[in-house]
Amino acid sequence: MPTITIFKDDFESLLKGTRTTHRTVSIEQVEEWLMLVKGELKGHNPDTGELRIELQDSNRPDLWCCEGIARQIRIKQQGKIAQYPFLTGKTKPKATIVVKPGMEQVRPYVAACAARGYQVTSQGLAQLIQTQEKLAEIFGHKRKTVSIGIYQLSKITFPVTYELVQPGEARFTPLGMETVMTLAEMLMVHPKGLEYGGILAGASRVPILRDAANQPLSFPPIINSREVGEVQVGDDQLFVEVTGTDLPMVVLTLNIFAANLADRGATIEPILVEYSTRTSLGKRVTTPQDLKRSKTIPIHTIEQALGQELGIKVVQQALEVYGYEVSAGKGSVRVKLPPYRQDLMHTMDVVEDVAMSRGYAEFTPVMPAQFTVGGLSRIEQVSDRARELMVGLGFQEIISNILGSPEQYSGHMRIDETEWGQMVKVDNVMTLNFSCLRQWILPSLLRIEAASSRAFYPHRLFEAGDVAIPDATHESGSRTETVLGAVIAHAAAHFSEIHSCLDTLFYYLGKEYRLEPVPHPSFLEGRAGRILIADKPVGIIGEIHPEVLERWQITMPVVAFDLNLSQLIIER
Amino acid sequence: MDISSIIDSLHPLEIKVLMTMGARQPAAAFKSEDLAVAAELEPSQLSMAVEWLLAKGLIEIQSEIVTPVVSLTKIGEEYHQAAAPIERILAAARDAAGTGKRLTIGDLQTQPGLDPSDVSKAVGRLKKEGVLLIIQGGCIETTGRSSPTADALRPLLEEVHGSSRELTSFSPERQQLIEDYSVKRGNAKEPFRVDERVTRSFVLSPSGASAVEQLMNQGLVEEVSQLSPELLKDGSWRQKRFRKYTISLRAPRVGTGKKHPYREFLDTVKAKLVSMGFQEMRGALVETEFWNMDALFMPQFHPARDIHDVYFVKQPTHAAMADESILSKVGQVHEHGGKTGSSGWGYAFDLQRAKRLVLRSQGTAVSARTLAASPNIPGKYFSIARCFRYDQVDATHATDFFQVEGIVLGEDINFRTLLGLLNLFAHEVAQAKEVKFLPAYFPFTEPSVELHVRHPRLGWMELGGAGLFRPEVTVPLGVTAPVIAWGLGLDRMAMVALGIHDIRELFTDNLELIRTTRGLF
Repeated sequence: MPTITIFKDDFESLLKGTRTTHRTVSIEQVEEWLMLVKGELKGHNPDTGELRIELQDSNRPDLWCCEGIARQIRIKQQGKIAQYPFLTGKTKPKATIVVKPGMEQVRPYVAACAARGYQVTSQGLAQLIQTQEKLAEIFGHKRKTVSIGIYQLSKITFPVTYELVQPGEARFTPLGMETVMTLAEMLMVHPKGLEYGGILAGASRVPILRDAANQPLSFPPIINSREVGEVQVGDDQLFVEVTGTDLPMVVLTLNIFAANLADRGATIEPILVEYSTRTSLGKRVTTPQDLKRSKTIPIHTIEQALGQELGIKVVQQALEVYGYEVSAGKGSVRVKLPPYRQDLMHTMDVVEDVAMSRGYAEFTPVMPAQFTVGGLSRIEQVSDRARELMVGLGFQEIISNILGSPEQYSGHMRIDETEWGQMVKVDNVMTLNFSCLRQWILPSLLRIEAASSRAFYPHRLFEAGDVAIPDATHESGSRTETVLGAVIAHAAAHFSEIHSCLDTLFYYLGKEYRLEPVPHPSFLEGRAGRILIADKPVGIIGEIHPEVLERWQITMPVVAFDLNLSQLIIER
Repeated sequence: MDISSIIDSLHPLEIKVLMTMGARQPAAAFKSEDLAVAAELEPSQLSMAVEWLLAKGLIEIQSEIVTPVVSLTKIGEEYHQAAAPIERILAAARDAAGTGKRLTIGDLQTQPGLDPSDVSKAVGRLKKEGVLLIIQGGCIETTGRSSPTADALRPLLEEVHGSSRELTSFSPERQQLIEDYSVKRGNAKEPFRVDERVTRSFVLSPSGASAVEQLMNQGLVEEVSQLSPELLKDGSWRQKRFRKYTISLRAPRVGTGKKHPYREFLDTVKAKLVSMGFQEMRGALVETEFWNMDALFMPQFHPARDIHDVYFVKQPTHAAMADESILSKVGQVHEHGGKTGSSGWGYAFDLQRAKRLVLRSQGTAVSARTLAASPNIPGKYFSIARCFRYDQVDATHATDFFQVEGIVLGEDINFRTLLGLLNLFAHEVAQAKEVKFLPAYFPFTEPSVELHVRHPRLGWMELGGAGLFRPEVTVPLGVTAPVIAWGLGLDRMAMVALGIHDIRELFTDNLELIRTTRGLF
């Protein structure tokens, strides 16, 4: 979900097309229009005219820019599809990129175009750079699948070649640097080399774009040449290339750039890419190219999904003002996505566009009418009953994190390396404080006790919550169970006090239990018992060992029990 | 305050003291220890009652006598048990004289139990009394004379041992000796201590006297502070007066059994959902990537599946999934759409990746499992599931949080019934009358909606997200009926209900805060 910054007056001029007069738009109007693009206005600076917009749809990269947002709104307002003559196939490419053999091993695809006649403004340049970054970063998976370069067309002699070189052999001055460097040096010292070099890890030869005069244009996907690849305000002849590992994505990205520049008044000149082997689009591929994603959809499928009768005409009109090309058939429509989109996997994708184009407010909500019986799971019922009893016994309920540290859940409890100290641990640890799941509740309650010595005593605390118990026999290596923990802390806290509570709890839960002495390192020896139901252990009760209290820095005696409610309700 | 309201507020101990003093005829002063005996009170009870009566002006101090009293300190008890330094030094000197050994001050200072200050004080005194001589080289010799100090000290220790004595009961010489050997500021290591004992004597004040008179006139009605089972059993409460309390005092705090306010909030939501016909679902904290993401048609290259977004499990890394047929069904949908009418994502699905274990990152994983387990159609399900995100923790991001979400299945489910359901949530959960439906994006639903409501107190807020599950999700799990997937974002409502501004406080360790939060909503 990218967030972009656009300029309001730039946006307004794009909205009206290049020839109509300028008109200011209210912020409320902008917010309403943003519904068409799943956008949300996150900020507005009236002094600079900057608008911060979050775009939600990760399958619509064409909307992650001022031009794309304006285009979607403009089509709706003007009621007609944006026309891009360079996609009709009538413009013959004048320039060529030659892809040399071997590229298919590293970064197989390239697409490019020239754009003339749009003089780059400072706001336009900022948008160009922002779009380049957002598309490469998010749509292009941090440049792995797609990366983009923009150049001064006048400095390039065609044909351009896209080929592999030894990183030590080719050199140029990269953007952001003053001196000539080899590609190998760029990987080692240039910030972009350090950030994106991993994409080329393991490749003995790396990609380079060079023109007919053997001048390097760039080292994709790392960095452009400073000589050719630094676009400035005032330039009016641009060369845009996209390289990557997925041909449809590479072409789509170029289509978006071509449409954006065309919307700003540029004339787009397609470029012919000559591959040494056949691609899914052929051996000679002209770019930009309409990928013509299309589908035939029965009207009743759309009507059924939306819950409303619309008819072919309404559907056709709704889709057309959303940018589709539509031809109506008998009981169905044939739809084609605009060239800057490819997000058509299923009929339901089109259904949503019909709804958005008409506006969600056009659909009257209807209550689902079919009868269903509500209810809680058995474990939730038992847990709720136990919680109510604990409240009646004078205990304050607690809620804690489940993700915590081994120190809390095991170390402080003196059970490292014991059967009680086994936990589900995190592999990609960010901080030790959040590196394992609790396997019992008591540490969660001692955490409160340790922090609350100034709260008046006695303290009677409980928590009923989920824990993860490692279990090699289980499919995922652990069981999630619901456990009730309780502690009592005050100067004269005593085993019999917590025992009475447990006893009362069992009485009202209707369970017969018994205690059996157990040596457990968290408890004082001789003052700890395993809780057994029908000879199966379901928990533990006792006086917390003074060394445990010391480790938690608790200076008050604590008695406690930890009772597995999930085990309690297993029918035996 | 007039005298009768003072009388009404008297504690039984105060009455006892007043009546004891009033009983002495003719009126005379009482020493405090005599008063304790006469009133049959413990010294502590008496001093409480006396302080209260003084404060109320019912009695007055007639005189205050200060008596110096001698007692043994801990050191003194040790001297009494064994020997005082002066005695030990004298004995050592006489012993040396008898055997002809040289004895120096240094030798004495190294003897166990004698420290340099003890030695120099004792040697100084003995030298002054002419008992010892210090000759060349710091050697000590006895003169054979006896020491008045040493001779007097022993009987004194005997006499004071066990109980204290008034200083004036000793002869002036002995009083001087006690002074010399008693604890003073800067010198705590001495055998005697002289304390000042204050003996006060009290008389009734004029208002005290009239209080006594009035108490007498009230006859034999005894006042009690507490109604007791005995008083009730024998009916004797009829002969008692009950002391009046100052009921405007602040009540002492009491520890109470109480649900956690956040949990109470979630309980209300739970009850609402059940009342709307939703059945609860439960799931596991540890899930496979399959149920957590693949089954929800999130492609394996989706950015939210990254190592920086999800917690992976260390051991075991992968689940031992017995049934692989469902994996391959879902895998086919990812690759080319399978039998769903979708084109799929068009990439090679990694079966091993699907088995990778993670900490559940979204409650929708629970819904996915329900879809695969032959759910009721029509059916409504919900879960309140703990989820984990690989996020830096701050005021608005928790790493460990509850998600309230679920599904609705039925042949009548479509975009409009989806909006109807959201309307219902808006009314029931947020008491909102105004709603807005905004287009939204979730990887597993199409169309997708964001529900915004005007909360009676919070104004416009996002209450949740929902959509129709993509057929790519439902069909491979065996469900052909349309399914709504919904989720409610309740943390903001909960935080306002609990009066907190930091999401971390939902799980606070501050017991005082938990106890004092009312949890109104």
